[in-house]
Amino acid sequence: MTTESIVLPGRGEGIVRTRGLGAVTGRVVVWIVLAVFGILSIIPMIWLILAPSKTGQQLNDNPPFSFGSFEQYGATWNNLLSQNDGIILKWMANSVTYTASIVVISCVTAVLAGYALAATTLPFKRVLLIITLIAMIIPPVALVVPLFVEISAIGLYDNPVSVILTSSFYPFGVFLAYIYFSTSIPTELYEAAKVDGAGEFTTFFRIALPLSKGLFGMLAFFSFSAAWVNYFLPYVLLQSQENFNLSVGLGFLFTSSPALNPLNGAQQSLIGRPEIALASLFLAIPILIVFIASSRLLVRGVLAGAVKS
Amino acid sequence: MARSRSSRRSLLAGSIMFAPYLILLLLFGIWPIIQATITSIGPSIVNPAGGLQNFADVVADVRFLPALMNVVVFLLLYVPIMIIVVSVMSLLLDTVQGRWNLPLRLTYIVPASMTGATAVLIWYFMLEPSLSPYQSALHALGITQGNQIWRQGGLAWIFVAMAFFVGAGNWIVVQYGSLQSISEDVLEAARIDGANAWQIGWRIKLPLIRKYLVYMGILVFAAGLQVFVEPQLISGSVYTGIAKDWSLNQLSYDLAFQSNNLAGSAALSLMLLVVCIIAAIVVIFRTDFFEGTGVGKK
Repeated sequence: MTTESIVLPGRGEGIVRTRGLGAVTGRVVVWIVLAVFGILSIIPMIWLILAPSKTGQQLNDNPPFSFGSFEQYGATWNNLLSQNDGIILKWMANSVTYTASIVVISCVTAVLAGYALAATTLPFKRVLLIITLIAMIIPPVALVVPLFVEISAIGLYDNPVSVILTSSFYPFGVFLAYIYFSTSIPTELYEAAKVDGAGEFTTFFRIALPLSKGLFGMLAFFSFSAAWVNYFLPYVLLQSQENFNLSVGLGFLFTSSPALNPLNGAQQSLIGRPEIALASLFLAIPILIVFIASSRLLVRGVLAGAVKS
Repeated sequence: MARSRSSRRSLLAGSIMFAPYLILLLLFGIWPIIQATITSIGPSIVNPAGGLQNFADVVADVRFLPALMNVVVFLLLYVPIMIIVVSVMSLLLDTVQGRWNLPLRLTYIVPASMTGATAVLIWYFMLEPSLSPYQSALHALGITQGNQIWRQGGLAWIFVAMAFFVGAGNWIVVQYGSLQSISEDVLEAARIDGANAWQIGWRIKLPLIRKYLVYMGILVFAAGLQVFVEPQLISGSVYTGIAKDWSLNQLSYDLAFQSNNLAGSAALSLMLLVVCIIAAIVVIFRTDFFEGTGVGKK
């Protein structure tokens, strides 16, 4: 009541209104908007989970959210396996190998570089930081054709090593690590260790690294989510089917099978829409699991946490 | 003496630690740009003399202007929609603390797991009137045939929808996180001054996360400029050729892999890259986003 006396008359009226019926209506509208957005967000995933339980015919004739049968999941999987002697398994294995290598290399190099920028007397720090920031803002897609030109020139075309190494360049990770080591860990801690005669490496391994579990989690999360679904770069750098990752393999199924366009590919192919949906599910589920498992990391505010205002 | 020795040791250790990343930076950040620059002025299939003429040839290519227009329309729709929806949704999410907050956030990030080919598959089914869960809504709009949606004029909207669907949820969660960094004292003071929820959101919270929204806007712009996967896959599968050379990146890809014109492709990539570098420099030096991170002048 006293609060209303100090605001402008116009606003005061607003407050009276929102505290009455308006406030309730407002809450209801907010909840409806939030809930509808949530439902729209999960509808495609529900559809994707249900699709491989049906035959291609059922997918066309039955309602979108009907369930086929559990047996049909097996049949769909067998159809997928029939493609090129089970090349889907090779694609999955490739995805796991590439992603694991990328996560390890990118996180280790990023943590080391971030620490060097934050805590050592590295020369040209500001320039290195600015170049890293520019590289971080430029979307990786922008470098795909230039990288192709380079990779062909050095003879690594169609070699998985090219995908692993190029994707391990992780300026965003370096920046996150730099911010972490320069703000979240008090510099006094490094100073104290150095006064006690510890070298940079000892300080890094004994003091900084044990305090960096959260940092590693965040770096691995972003590195994993980019590497697992990486499409354009491996699509351009790889040629042989047996080198594809799951993402590129799925794109290949898309464009080579009659599933989505009867004019494409061999008519007798067993790859139909349910099979494509199942392959999509294999691509989506690991990301989803990692997202849900890391939801605590995201909540704390990636940007706000990284760049203190 | 002792100090300079320890600082020299620190320099050595720092350099060793920085070296692995520096190698990746030089090999896959800087070298490709140099190599592409050299390639872009080399001899090409349409211009054996090479030189800057390659850039002029690309711009004069009949496919260039339509692709540029497509990307401009795409960006004009995509960037504002992302900024507005993400701002509104994260502000709304911030007003409902409690046990439903986390489940809501989790549902919002679900679509981010369906990128690339998966997104194309999903959208094909969502938009095909005979198969879609939104069948009745589509019919109400008078859409009963797939080709009423999948036609040249409407493609930008479809690609915006795809990109939005994949990206928005993650950004809502990220910006919701930004909102959590606003001190409770500020909000409490506003409440004591009699501000209602709407005023707090619009006048207090939004200005306080403005720089995160600007940062997002520029990142979204830079990524949108490079749109490739969605039109490429649609064109190669569902409706053959419907979005061939639709975006600038597709044109760049086709120049390299269909027209055997690597010089032209490199020239086009460099032009797109320059725009992204300018965007990056604007964020770093013209916004306050990286203030206090050691980038600004001391």
